[in-house]
Amino acid sequence: MPTMGGNPRRNMEIRRYPVLVYALVPLAALVLQAWLPRALRGYAWFDLPLVVTVYFALGRRSPIQGTLMGAAMGLFEDALTQHAIGINGIAKTIVGFLAASVGIRIDVENHTIRLALNFLLSLLSSAIYVFVYRMLLGLNLKWSWIVEIIKAVDNSLIAMVVFPFLDRLQIRE
Amino acid sequence: MESFFIRYRNLLVLLAILLAQIVGLAVQVRHTDSGRNTLDPQDGPGVRLIRMWANDAVSPPERLFHSSRLGTVWLWQNYIDLRHTEQQNQDLQKTIDRLRLEQAALLEDAKQGQRLQALVGFQQKYIYQTVAAQAIGSSGSDQSRLFYIDKGADYKLERDMAVITPDGIVGKVREVFPHSAQVLEINDQTSGAGVILATTRIRGTLRGNAIGQPQIVGILADQRIQPGEVVLTAGGDMIFPRGLPVGVVEKVVRDPDRDAFIDVIVKPAAHLDRLDEVLVITSTDARFSPQQQQDLATSEALKGSEAAAILEKKKASEIMAERLPGLTDPNAPAPVPAQPGQPQPTPVTPPAPKLLPAVHPDRFSPGIAPQPPTDKPDQDQSAPDKPTSEAPKKPAQKTAPRTPTHPQRNP
Repeated sequence: MPTMGGNPRRNMEIRRYPVLVYALVPLAALVLQAWLPRALRGYAWFDLPLVVTVYFALGRRSPIQGTLMGAAMGLFEDALTQHAIGINGIAKTIVGFLAASVGIRIDVENHTIRLALNFLLSLLSSAIYVFVYRMLLGLNLKWSWIVEIIKAVDNSLIAMVVFPFLDRLQIRE
Repeated sequence: MESFFIRYRNLLVLLAILLAQIVGLAVQVRHTDSGRNTLDPQDGPGVRLIRMWANDAVSPPERLFHSSRLGTVWLWQNYIDLRHTEQQNQDLQKTIDRLRLEQAALLEDAKQGQRLQALVGFQQKYIYQTVAAQAIGSSGSDQSRLFYIDKGADYKLERDMAVITPDGIVGKVREVFPHSAQVLEINDQTSGAGVILATTRIRGTLRGNAIGQPQIVGILADQRIQPGEVVLTAGGDMIFPRGLPVGVVEKVVRDPDRDAFIDVIVKPAAHLDRLDEVLVITSTDARFSPQQQQDLATSEALKGSEAAAILEKKKASEIMAERLPGLTDPNAPAPVPAQPGQPQPTPVTPPAPKLLPAVHPDRFSPGIAPQPPTDKPDQDQSAPDKPTSEAPKKPAQKTAPRTPTHPQRNP
């Protein structure tokens, strides 16, 4: 795995984006996540807010920013469902934090690493969701891991398309 | 101390945010008397406010996307793709006429049912008023089968109103916002609808499973339930009126948690994954709505015209029968009306015209048919009131022998 020696935080580039990108891209992800399943006849086995959270957390390399973005995206997603607000929030908060923490230590320019990270973080997000729903809240939830694996694969494929597009929006010095 | 906060600020922020969310979750969950945890069915003011903000942020772009898609589809369907439209129109008109006749026939049953229900003190609720709404967005989660419609409190929608399509039930209104509303579909895990199997009359509760299939749960294993059986709403949940189509039984599987129980997977009648327009039942009543009454009146009128058409056809056939040769004698005297005190005259059978014998006689050949089943020569005269036009026909229909029993009458 390509890692940076010495002080990685100092050596690695921190990406910067116009303010509008920070506002509009997450909003677009949330809107598309809510609208696309209707256009795709109920197919909702993907998680655009998660992909965007992972992207910005990896690019910014700031655990606090990753945590805040993950929390905001997760809470927003919860608010659109009938479930308790905070389940997705906790899952994506942890995902954002971990993605930013990993982004400090490894080279995330590599597409393969990005895809692998997306896949693993998607599964982690699902696992945290189940844990919070079943263990923390003690609620009944039927679960299919096959669906979650398919969702993780879909997220990786979406990241393969979205990440290069978002890379073009960053401010080049 | 300061260096501790600086050094671990990332972790501290993470823990603080997680803690805040856990506390928020704890507020939203209730512990029931049965020892189980459930989500509060009605959101608190704070939670509702967050949901409203999220909806306000997402709804306008969704409406824009939805309107653009509808506009494109409308242009295509109304100005470009018009092949076979005329034929489809005619077919649909025929279907409407047929359904109106069927409705008129069922109307009598419905009226009788209402009278009987009034007698036993039970009131059947009918769909009295509906509001048509467009589905504009979804929750975006496969764990949450709900969608948003473009009508809300501005159209007097309320929680727990039933949402249907002409094909079958869809779900119920869960939350109402000023200009939109959340609809919880019947295939969500947290939904619930009282249903009944049409043939076996087994009742159960319908809810979704992990992959979004509606299933009837809590049914004891029963061999009578077969795939293809129709599922209807039972009407006991105070949300869906009784008798609405839900779907058909797709398969029966064993309940993974309880051995003696089964889960009946249902194929929904409504296309839950392709919903564009739905109807929200805003009121039910024990009487028909003005629109329904108008439809029924149209059906009744149509039924009357249909009956008139049948009568006209019958008259025409009688006229045709009178004009057929050999069936009536145009020179025969008109029947004299019976005078009181005088004996009834014996009716005279008109003489049959002489026809050439058939080469290959069958039961329709003249001269063969008038053969009574028994050897009673006066049988035909025992029914003097019958019209003369039917006289030669009736014995032919009744006694037409496949093999001749009286060889002396064969040509």
